Amino acid sequence: MDNLNIGRHISGQFNEDLERTMNHVMHMGGLVEKQLADALTSVCDADEILAKKVLTNDYLINSAEVSIDDECTRIIAKRQPAAGDLRLVMAIVKTITDLERIGDEAGKIANVTLESLSGKHKDLLSNLDNLGRHVLTFLQATLDAFTRMDVEAAIKVHKNDDKIDREYEALMRQLMTYMMEDPRSIPQVMSVIWSARALERIGDRCQNICEYIIYFVKGKSVRHTTPEDFDSLS
Amino acid sequence: MISVTPKKLSEHRVKLDLNNLSPEQVALEIKNLDLYYGNKQALQNISMSIPKGQVTAFIGPSGCGKSTLLRCINRMNDLVDICKITGEINLNGDNIYDRHTDVAALRRKVGMVFQRPNPFPKSIYENVVYGLRITGVNNRRVLDEAVENALRSAALWNEVKDRLHESALGLSGGQQQRLVIARAIAIEPEVLLLDEPTSALDPISTLTIEELINDLKKQFTVVIVTHNMQQAARVSDQTAFMYMGDLIEYSDTNTLFTTPAKKKTEDYITGRYG
Repeated sequence: MDNLNIGRHISGQFNEDLERTMNHVMHMGGLVEKQLADALTSVCDADEILAKKVLTNDYLINSAEVSIDDECTRIIAKRQPAAGDLRLVMAIVKTITDLERIGDEAGKIANVTLESLSGKHKDLLSNLDNLGRHVLTFLQATLDAFTRMDVEAAIKVHKNDDKIDREYEALMRQLMTYMMEDPRSIPQVMSVIWSARALERIGDRCQNICEYIIYFVKGKSVRHTTPEDFDSLS
Repeated sequence: MISVTPKKLSEHRVKLDLNNLSPEQVALEIKNLDLYYGNKQALQNISMSIPKGQVTAFIGPSGCGKSTLLRCINRMNDLVDICKITGEINLNGDNIYDRHTDVAALRRKVGMVFQRPNPFPKSIYENVVYGLRITGVNNRRVLDEAVENALRSAALWNEVKDRLHESALGLSGGQQQRLVIARAIAIEPEVLLLDEPTSALDPISTLTIEELINDLKKQFTVVIVTHNMQQAARVSDQTAFMYMGDLIEYSDTNTLFTTPAKKKTEDYITGRYG
C-alpha cells in the first residue's frame, strides 16, 4: 500500500472504515480474478461443470459491488472526505463498477464452454486461450497496482493494453478467414468472437482502473487523454 | 447533435489565477505582512490578493493566525497595545497602514461581523441604522429605505418587518447574527469580514447564513474565517490554509479541497495528524 496512506486520521474509526472498504475491494478483485481464470480453464478444458460454477458464482461479485457501494455512501455521508480521501472513495466506487463488469465478461466466456463446439473447431480455442492468459496477467497486474496504488505500475499496465488490442485484432482476422473458408462454421466462430470481444473489453476495463489509480495518487484525471499526457505523470 | 467534450465542459468553470489578478479584480492586496504580539511573531510574511466580489475563506487550526490576519484588514489589532505590524494591506491601491489613514473611514469601508451575535440593546430598526446615524444621516425616508434594503439583503426582512421597533434582543441567535450582518451592510462597505459567523448557531441558522453569504458576494467582497472546513468548502470561492502564522496554501476552493498542492494542507483537511 505504497501510496495509500489510509491511516493517521485523528478519527481511528475513519481509518478503520477506509481500511475495511479497501480490503473488501481487494477481496472483490480476487473473486473477479478467479472467475476469469476459471472461465478460461473451462473453455480450454471443455469443463462444463466449471463453466456453470463461474456463472453461478457471479452473484458473489454482484453482491460485493453493492456492499462496497453502500460502504462508500456511508463514508461520504458520515465523514465528508476531502482531498486524497475523497479521491480514494471516488476511485473505489468507479473501480468496483469496472470489476463487476469484468465479472460479467468472465460469465460470457464461460457460456462459450456450454455451447458444444465440435472437435474440428477446438483449434479455434487455442488462440482464444493465448489472448485469455495475457488478459488474465493484465488483470493481475492491474489489481496489484491498485493494491499498492502504484502509479508507475498503473502507467505501465495502461500502455500494455495496446498489445492486447493488437492480439485481439490478429485473432479477429484469423476468425474472419475461418468463416470465409468454411461458412458452416459461422455459428461456432461467432461464439468465439464474443469471447474474444469480452477479453478485449476486460483489457479496456483494466485500463480504466489504472486511470483511477492515477487519479487517486496524482489528483489528475487522465481519461480521454493521449499516451503522451502520461509521460508528465511519472 | 451538440457534441460536448469533457474539455469543453471544464472551460465553463471560471477559475481566477490568484497570482495574476488584474488591478480591477483585486479588492485587497496583502504584501509581506508580519505581525508580532510582543516578541511572539503571529503572522509571517503573508502575501496574497483577495479578489473582488468573491468569498475568500481562511482556514487552519486554532492559533494559526487566521483571525489575526482578518482583524488586520480593518485594523482591529490597533486596539492591542503589544501588537506590531509591518508590511502593507492595500485597499483600492491605498495602504491601510499608512499613517494618514482615517481608521474610522476604513472601518466604514471594511465591515466586520463576529463569532457571537452582538446586537445593541436597541430596537431592530435602530440597530440597522446605527452606522448611518453616526455618519450624520437622519432623514427618515433615507433611513427607512436603508433598513429595508439591508434587512432584505440579510434575508431577515420578511421575519422582522412587522416588529422593527421591538428589541433586537428578542430575536433568535440566527436572526440576531443576520441582524448584525444587516447592520454591517447598511453602511454599504466594500469588504465584509466574517469571523466565524456561525460557530454559535444551530445547523439550520448556519445554512441560512451560508446562503446569505452566497448572495452577499454579489454586492461585497467577503472574507470569512471558519473552523468548519466543510463550510469553507461550501461557501468560498478561494481558500487560504494557514498554519502557525504562515500562509501554507492559497488557491481556488475546488482545487484546495480535492487536490491540495501541499502535504500540510492535505493532512489538515483530511483530519490527519500533522
